[in-house]
Amino acid sequence: MMDSGFDRRDFLKVLGWGGTTAALGGCGFTSMEDGKETVVSYVEAKDYMIPSISVYYNSTCTQCDMGCSISGRVREGRVLKLEGNPESAINRGKLCGLGQAGVQHHYNPDRVREPLLRTGSKSGETITWEKAYGLIAEKLNGVSGEEIAFLTGGMSGHLKVLMGNYLDSFGCKNHFVYEAIAPAVVRAANKKSYGVEMPRISINKAKVVLSFGADFLGSWVSPVHFSQQYAQFRKGVNGQRGVLIQVESKMTLTGANADRWLAVRPGTEGILALGIINALGTATGDVAAAVKGYDKVRVSKDTGVSAEQIDKIAALLKARTPSLVLVGSAAEGYAHGSQNAAAINLLNQVLGNVGKTVEAAASVPFPQMAPALGNTAALQGLNKGLAEGKFKVLFNYAANPVFTAPAAMKFKDNMAKAGFKVVFAHYLDETALQADLVLPLDSGLEDWGSHVPEYMAEGAQINIQQPLMEKIHANTRGMGDILLSLVKQRRSEDYKKYADYYAYLRDALLKNKDAFGGKGIDDDVFWDDTLSKGIVKLAGSTGALSAKASAAGLTLPAPAAIDAQFPLQLIPSVNHSLRDGRNTNQPWLQESPDPLTTIVWDSWVEIHPKKAAELGIAEGDIVEITSKNGSIKVQAYLFPGIHPDVISVPLGRGHEAMGRYAKDYGVNPFLILDAIFDKETGELAMHETRVKVSKTGQKVIVVKDEGPAGGRQMGKKIAPRLPTDKVDFSKEV
Amino acid sequence: MSVTTLLEGWSDWRHEHPINDQPHNPYKWAMSIDLDACTGCNACSVACYAENNLPVVGKEKYAHGQVMHWLRIERYWDEDGREFPDQGARFLPMMCQQCEAAPCETVCPVGATNHTPDGLNSQIYNRCIGSRYCSANCPFKVRYFNWYDYPTTDNVWPAEMNQQLNPDVTVRGKGVMEKCTFCVQRLREAESNAKSQGRVVRDGEVQTACQQVCLPGAITFGNLVDPESKVHKKWQAQQVELAKDVQAKDKEEGGSKLRGYRILEELRPYPSVMYLERVRDSAI
Amino acid sequence: MKDIREDIAWAKINKDVLHSLENPRKMFWVMLVVAIAMVGVGVGCEAYQYITGMGVANMDNPHVWGLYIASFIFWIGMSHSGTLLSAILHLMHADWRKPIYRFAEAMTTFSLMTAGLFVFVHLGRAWQVYYAIPYPNERGIWPNFQSPLLWDAMAIFTYLSSSILFLYVGMIPDLAICRDNMNPGWRKKLYTALALGWEGTDRQWRNFRVTYLTIACFLIPLAVSVHSIVASDFAMSQQPGWHITSFPPYFVAGALYSGCAAIITLFIILRYVFRFEEYMTLPILKKIVRLTFAISMVWTYLNMIEMASVWYGHDPVAKDTLLERMYGPYAPFWWSMIFCGSIVPLIMAFKRFQTNIPVMFVVSLLLNLGMWLERWMIVSPTFAHGYYPWTWDHDQWPSFVQWGIVFGSFGWFTLLFMGFCKLFPSVSMYEVKEMVYHRSLATKAAAGKLEAAGKGAH
Repeated sequence: MMDSGFDRRDFLKVLGWGGTTAALGGCGFTSMEDGKETVVSYVEAKDYMIPSISVYYNSTCTQCDMGCSISGRVREGRVLKLEGNPESAINRGKLCGLGQAGVQHHYNPDRVREPLLRTGSKSGETITWEKAYGLIAEKLNGVSGEEIAFLTGGMSGHLKVLMGNYLDSFGCKNHFVYEAIAPAVVRAANKKSYGVEMPRISINKAKVVLSFGADFLGSWVSPVHFSQQYAQFRKGVNGQRGVLIQVESKMTLTGANADRWLAVRPGTEGILALGIINALGTATGDVAAAVKGYDKVRVSKDTGVSAEQIDKIAALLKARTPSLVLVGSAAEGYAHGSQNAAAINLLNQVLGNVGKTVEAAASVPFPQMAPALGNTAALQGLNKGLAEGKFKVLFNYAANPVFTAPAAMKFKDNMAKAGFKVVFAHYLDETALQADLVLPLDSGLEDWGSHVPEYMAEGAQINIQQPLMEKIHANTRGMGDILLSLVKQRRSEDYKKYADYYAYLRDALLKNKDAFGGKGIDDDVFWDDTLSKGIVKLAGSTGALSAKASAAGLTLPAPAAIDAQFPLQLIPSVNHSLRDGRNTNQPWLQESPDPLTTIVWDSWVEIHPKKAAELGIAEGDIVEITSKNGSIKVQAYLFPGIHPDVISVPLGRGHEAMGRYAKDYGVNPFLILDAIFDKETGELAMHETRVKVSKTGQKVIVVKDEGPAGGRQMGKKIAPRLPTDKVDFSKEV
Repeated sequence: MSVTTLLEGWSDWRHEHPINDQPHNPYKWAMSIDLDACTGCNACSVACYAENNLPVVGKEKYAHGQVMHWLRIERYWDEDGREFPDQGARFLPMMCQQCEAAPCETVCPVGATNHTPDGLNSQIYNRCIGSRYCSANCPFKVRYFNWYDYPTTDNVWPAEMNQQLNPDVTVRGKGVMEKCTFCVQRLREAESNAKSQGRVVRDGEVQTACQQVCLPGAITFGNLVDPESKVHKKWQAQQVELAKDVQAKDKEEGGSKLRGYRILEELRPYPSVMYLERVRDSAI
Repeated sequence: MKDIREDIAWAKINKDVLHSLENPRKMFWVMLVVAIAMVGVGVGCEAYQYITGMGVANMDNPHVWGLYIASFIFWIGMSHSGTLLSAILHLMHADWRKPIYRFAEAMTTFSLMTAGLFVFVHLGRAWQVYYAIPYPNERGIWPNFQSPLLWDAMAIFTYLSSSILFLYVGMIPDLAICRDNMNPGWRKKLYTALALGWEGTDRQWRNFRVTYLTIACFLIPLAVSVHSIVASDFAMSQQPGWHITSFPPYFVAGALYSGCAAIITLFIILRYVFRFEEYMTLPILKKIVRLTFAISMVWTYLNMIEMASVWYGHDPVAKDTLLERMYGPYAPFWWSMIFCGSIVPLIMAFKRFQTNIPVMFVVSLLLNLGMWLERWMIVSPTFAHGYYPWTWDHDQWPSFVQWGIVFGSFGWFTLLFMGFCKLFPSVSMYEVKEMVYHRSLATKAAAGKLEAAGKGAH
């Protein structure tokens, strides 16, 4: 055997070393990150704070103005999630997606944390509260009441009272209450037709709901309440499922849930309402005379709704009572909106719904606390004063007019004419950026307050707002506390005893506890009980509704002719989460797809496929929309739920400020709106803007949740549908 | 760690759907969603984000299809070529169907997804190695993968926003698959409380986040094997049985007049979510 | 055509083959640097992906798999070359395989190693890949044996270890030749260690033959099962376009196909680089080309079977997915696959081109391109267009990270292969000697002058 120099022993040696090396290589790796495993516990926990046990505190949601009551889950001193408070008749334990995002309003990293003095320095200099209050006192010194202006959003409750007292101390009457999107024309029309601005409606009692653009499931008035009524409505009265008919020029969320959605020529809703009254054939007196000329042929020609459809609607309304007729965008959209609303409310009267599905709402017996409702006419008044250079000091709270005012009003320029501008803000939004002094507010989950809702669901109630946790940022203040400090500058004797707004609120509520059902109950017990419930129910007064059907003063214009230069009509749509843009910096809402288009994080323009084909526009094309007052560039989306002569861009995006989640996403259609106002109320007619559309040649891929299949099921049984005559509801639970 | 464990675990693991000898006991969580009541408002989807620490991925990643919504609202149009969608749209909330014979469970190489005794499809984050076979096999595509490390990504949970995170739910790092769990953290808490009181969870005692927030109350959730529960009664009224892939009522002449159905039933995953068909009035 | 000389001296064979192990020329170093650079690109991309997350690969929901799985299957497929040549043709006593099976086996081993890399790269939490191994752990958890991916892991591990064994064992006599002919140095030490003291005695040869045959017989069903298991990753799932029973044989046929095409490519390269014209002769090339052609027709047939079963089946979704492959966003790639996989190989039917080296080089590359595209076309279109229309995604394409890693994998393979060819004899010296001996015997027998020589030492 030749000696090859390698034998069995060598072989085993090599094997052994190789194996060990391989084994050693795998050590030292755990699946948890090194150094990140720490357990943090409070050294001194508060005695109500038991780790891992949630405590629930009730308060009021401030994401929109409807005043749903919330129940916040708080753990280890942090609010984690909001749920609905079952105690409130308005939301009955439910809370919409917008309300859920309240925690993102509260924890938002872009909140203003310190008072900022911005005069002279673009980035702002941080100052103390004492200095801020001193500066305000200084600027108000020697200024008369007419030279001071307060612009706020809708206000109610004790904050409104305190605000009123502060204004009184100057003899100032310039409190402008402004809401960019408000059912202001509806309110005025209701007042005329029924005698109250916001009657209590009962969708659940109606067998047919005919809605003229009222997006009651999305953003109109109190969608959380109405959605629950809607559920009962669908279950039906005596097993007969309710029928929803929606009449509008651009499909809203409610329209998407209608049994029949009618694309009506924009502005002709009133004509259709009169046409239906005519078709009903039950009207008498001046009403019959008024509708005589609105036969279905003429109405069909004017509105685009077929004659058979009009007949069907009339027949249905006759056969199934009570019904309910609602007016929404038909009123807010047009220069003749009040007339539209009057005609539509008349239909309710003729059908005999008043007193059945349209009833008087309860009201809180403290008129000073009743909500001051906002509208755009108020902004016009302020704008006029600013333009004239009338105001030396301007205060702004809960409104963002630089973002929401149409550019035609030149609000930003006019605002610059005010001498000293103070903005109370949560974030540096467009209006705050124009301020001289920005004062940081407590979030809606850190503050005390009382709110009287505009829409009273059942009995009268006052919503209580209490902090769900300690302030995150030490230097923010509640608006109530700020106002109290300011009013103390003027009337120190009257308010000396109140250390803070909490004391003021508590005192005010306890003073009237008898009316609030606290008669004979100990003060502290009553207060704790109120806070734990989150609302105060009281015996409110209910007025009577006028059920007289009268067509007095009702004149509807003929349908508008199409402007050759601006052939399309722009409808800026209201998304149920983004609304007027106050919540756009909440990322859950940015990432939540629009229910109808499924688009996220960006704006779009909805064009009917027929019109898009005519113009040669495909999905994703960047088009320029030009009105007389400006233009915006936005991606196109082909959408079948819109009248072919109408295009629609959503409101709420297009911020130029307001933090990382809102800035530079989308475009702001508010800016290009024509300054056309409702003749009777002076409200901005939102749908009257005429535009032209042109391609820019650029193209993007639309960022949306739906895929290339769009809304098609490709022959699969994914979302099928049954007609009522093929369904047996009797067996259902 | 033994062959016995392997053999026992194998047959327990792979029990497809309740059969006579081993029905779900005492819980089988199931859901019924009424598409006629659903208004498409998306509140359920936002509530799910809040409850389950879902990351917001932002526009760019959304454009790449990397969104994380466990519950998505789909919107369908009628397909009969009319000029307008004059009978509205149809909304469908779609989440993990917690299938009894889940196609995802068999294919995970490390067994990170399994079936729990109370009828849920479980996803075990710390076992997952991210092979994504489960998502590949899911017919509904309701599984979402963590394509990035969201806890360390800018602007997902910046300071203060991270205080909102629910401590009952794991915050997932990169490389892990996740999906709707029927709010298992709430279920476990309720089950544990009930157990320490010597009873079973009552109907309505525990709610999933989506069910809790649903405005028209379209989502019904509960224990399918509890004869008193709403969800049991609904399934029964609709004659939909969990363990069948073709329901008896579907063989009726002229189609069934009942609204209950399950999606992609013919693939036989035996989903635990029943949908009630949307209805449009024929009188208008 | 010139075939190997029957009177070629053993010493010449040794000298020619060992010549390939000498210090490399400049071109080698240039190619090596290029290969390392390619690997660098791959490593860079993987590091980026490892640190940042799989999202950089541009995968999304529903498109959760991409080029990693496609390339994984491709490399496993390539690995069937060696098995086919070494094992299957060995059992069929096809002599012509003898000069070429060594590098084919090497190709098998390195393909498997490259495929293994893709398993790691594909995982979202690659650092926990060991969960798939049934190691004793304190939680008492086994991996999931119902999962085809786990079968993959086990099958590939078995296949890789068996292939390494097969390659190594088959090389022992050659390593002995290297050991005996090397000057002292690190190489001589290496060959000495690896040759395990081979003397070439009768007893050793007898043991060797039995071992080699055993492993060959073991390896053939293993190779078929490995790629069938890889095919079950798809066939065992429910997805349209995947749930097809003919997938396992289809994949195996595709594997043999790409393996043979790769053999042609490397044959031509090695023949030129090492001047192996004497051994890697044109008749052998002709045979392998014809074999490839036959396999290409089998693959084409199985492809048509797959399409027919979908077309005449009752699953409208699968049919829709197939049509989507033909007309949808992936159409250019799908049709390229058909062209490269079924049309281009027709050239190989013509004698004129069967030994035309430039043509065959290009053809073999195109065939492999077609096979790579085939794997991609199996993976991606089903994700883009599955059961649930809402989740369709026709816009997703792999990012530079995926392309970079695939690119890097070719560099990695090249690196390994080049290393092998410089360290180990890429032509099997002892088998060539056997081949020459058998031919000379056959000639003598034909000439009628044969005395039974029996089996003696070679």
